[in-house]
Amino acid sequence: MKSRYAIGLLALLLACSLVAAQDRLRMSTTTSTENTGLLNVLLPPFERECRCKVDVIAVGTGKALKLGEAGDVDVVLVHARSLEDRFVANGFGVNRRDVMYNDFVILGPASDPAHVKGAKTAADALQRIAGAQAVFISRGDESGTHVKEKEIWAATGINPVGRWYRSIGQGMGEAIMMATEERAYTLSDRGTYNAFAGPKTDLVILFEGEKGLFNPYGVIAVNPKKFPHVRYDLAMKFVDFITGPTGQAIIGQYQVAGKPVFFLYQAR
Amino acid sequence: MKPAQYRLTEIRAFYRANLALEVDELTIASGRLHILAGPNGSGKSTLLSILAFLMKPSHGEVVFAGTQVDWQGKQLASLRKRVTLLHQHSFLFSGTVSANVAFGPRARGMAKENVQRAVGESLAMVGLDGFESRDARHLSGGEARRVALARALACQPEVLLLDEPMAHVDKQSAQIIESLVVSLSGQGTTVVMSSHYEQLGQRTESKVIRLLDGKVEKIVEGNGEAPSRVVDGYRYAKL
Amino acid sequence: MGFIAESFRTALSLIFSADQDVFAAVRTSVGVAAWSVLLAAAFGIPVGVGVGISQFPLKRVVIVVLNSLMAMPTVVLGLLVYGLVSRQGPLGGWGLLFTPKAMIIGQTLLAVPIVANYTLSAIKGADSRIVPTALTLGAGSLRSMMQLTREVRFGIMAAVIAGFGRVISEVGVAMMLGGNIRWYTRTMTTAIALETSKGEFAFGLALGMILMAVSFSINILLTFMQESHQP
Repeated sequence: MKSRYAIGLLALLLACSLVAAQDRLRMSTTTSTENTGLLNVLLPPFERECRCKVDVIAVGTGKALKLGEAGDVDVVLVHARSLEDRFVANGFGVNRRDVMYNDFVILGPASDPAHVKGAKTAADALQRIAGAQAVFISRGDESGTHVKEKEIWAATGINPVGRWYRSIGQGMGEAIMMATEERAYTLSDRGTYNAFAGPKTDLVILFEGEKGLFNPYGVIAVNPKKFPHVRYDLAMKFVDFITGPTGQAIIGQYQVAGKPVFFLYQAR
Repeated sequence: MKPAQYRLTEIRAFYRANLALEVDELTIASGRLHILAGPNGSGKSTLLSILAFLMKPSHGEVVFAGTQVDWQGKQLASLRKRVTLLHQHSFLFSGTVSANVAFGPRARGMAKENVQRAVGESLAMVGLDGFESRDARHLSGGEARRVALARALACQPEVLLLDEPMAHVDKQSAQIIESLVVSLSGQGTTVVMSSHYEQLGQRTESKVIRLLDGKVEKIVEGNGEAPSRVVDGYRYAKL
Repeated sequence: MGFIAESFRTALSLIFSADQDVFAAVRTSVGVAAWSVLLAAAFGIPVGVGVGISQFPLKRVVIVVLNSLMAMPTVVLGLLVYGLVSRQGPLGGWGLLFTPKAMIIGQTLLAVPIVANYTLSAIKGADSRIVPTALTLGAGSLRSMMQLTREVRFGIMAAVIAGFGRVISEVGVAMMLGGNIRWYTRTMTTAIALETSKGEFAFGLALGMILMAVSFSINILLTFMQESHQP
């Protein structure tokens, strides 16, 4: 009697699993890309078209590419050009294509104690922050944002070290939240900032618009010659979709809080 | 002439680093009632454990019904199906009286219908008819002891060993147990029972083995009347 | 204070609107945990019983090791299994990474020491007369051990409940081995981690409340089953 309905309940619990027999495309991307919510509108039409399911694994850029290097995913969508080029050069990826771009901005408290607002270049801005020893939050996770940040520090010739420079090893959301709490500066992609601006953060954009802060996104299929098991067919379908008219239209029209998040390259 | 049920030779057994039993030679006759007498700590329980094949002596030889015991797993399992021990403070399994009494028959692979019958018969023998569905945890001392006895009887063993079966039970239970034990040995079951009450040996046709400090002190062959012979040749081993 | 009240209201509205994401995450959490606990019981109970009743030279060492394994950080276990099931690892050919199966492997390994330890405790606390009684009534070693297990079933159920609590509440293994894939390997705990990383604290707490409610309900059920079998 009692053991019987126990078994029944157990069977119900087990039924809660968890088997998916469909065609699955595994894609690694960055947390900031996923946090913009673009994929929630971009993937369903693609899934209908290819009659497959896309498994999105959102991690830092570094890890996203490492997953590709290990053959644990079929396609990679990231925004760290130098790392992407190395990925392809080392034979892990093929058919890299430009997808979209946005830019990075330097965020900080409205009070701007380091006087970043008057800076002429991004390097100048970071130099002022270092000079004032104002708290700066770094992603520290080999993400696209972190890679860009390192490039700018390299341009200043300064090696950021000290209690004011906090490398947190976490995603863009966490970095913005921490910078908000600490009234600190940080480098962010515009998309994530737009998603957070208003209710979640009172940081403002203190520097923007320089060519060096350009943030291009690339999609790369994992090399089937290196990893015969990857779904190269589905990966290429996705690459064609996201760079084709349907995908590009969706990207171009995508907005967060009434503002566009990504920009398209001209003349496809 | 039936072979002896047990022949023990040069037995040494330890309990917590102390020599608990030291028996040079002992014979347990088949189909008879034996009473192990002696004060606490004299080695009665140890001897019973060895006879039940639950404890292996550290030294010595046991021959059971003509076959030497090699104390290996397989042989032990089959030997234990022929010998059942009723512990002094026996443990009743959680569940019903019937589940307890049925344990032995089920372990022997008896068919379901036969099991039920065997349970009923065993309970009747100890005067606990109708106790099948009672909770084994909620019995009086005497009832619990009788259920344990019924559980042992249901195994229909060749040898029934009992450790102080009548200690601390009410008079009625004690009488039932005593008469049961006597009638069993009369029907051919070898019975070895430890007891504080040596007079019991005089009331029944039994062989009394008296232990003291782990050694056999005296053996009295009884025939229901006053003791007629005293066999005194089993002495202490020299180390 | 208002933040908690807001979360509570959000939790209720998510439940009543039968939010797809939330229900999928609950299903994944419960399904993965259930499978893991079952497998952990299948391995852990025999280990606990076996170690409990045997005497062997290294018994003390084994017990200390089992105890220490209970404190294994989930991320460390996640990493170890990750190394096994990634394509680069020895089991890479099975394509387990980022599937519920990998999560189940990880969580089972997490739960086995707990189930084994609690079972071991139950056995140690058991009456020493159980096995000799069963043996003298003619049971073989296997049947005797099963009777012993039956006599301590209350404690063993506690072992299962403890194991379940551990796995349904953890996030390290689920995140690392599952990849937090929406509708597939996203559990309640990884969903909470995600919302927190987006700064959605109230929403994250709402999910947390739902998780606690589910957890409590299952534990109440298991405890009820345990009590109805109490010897």
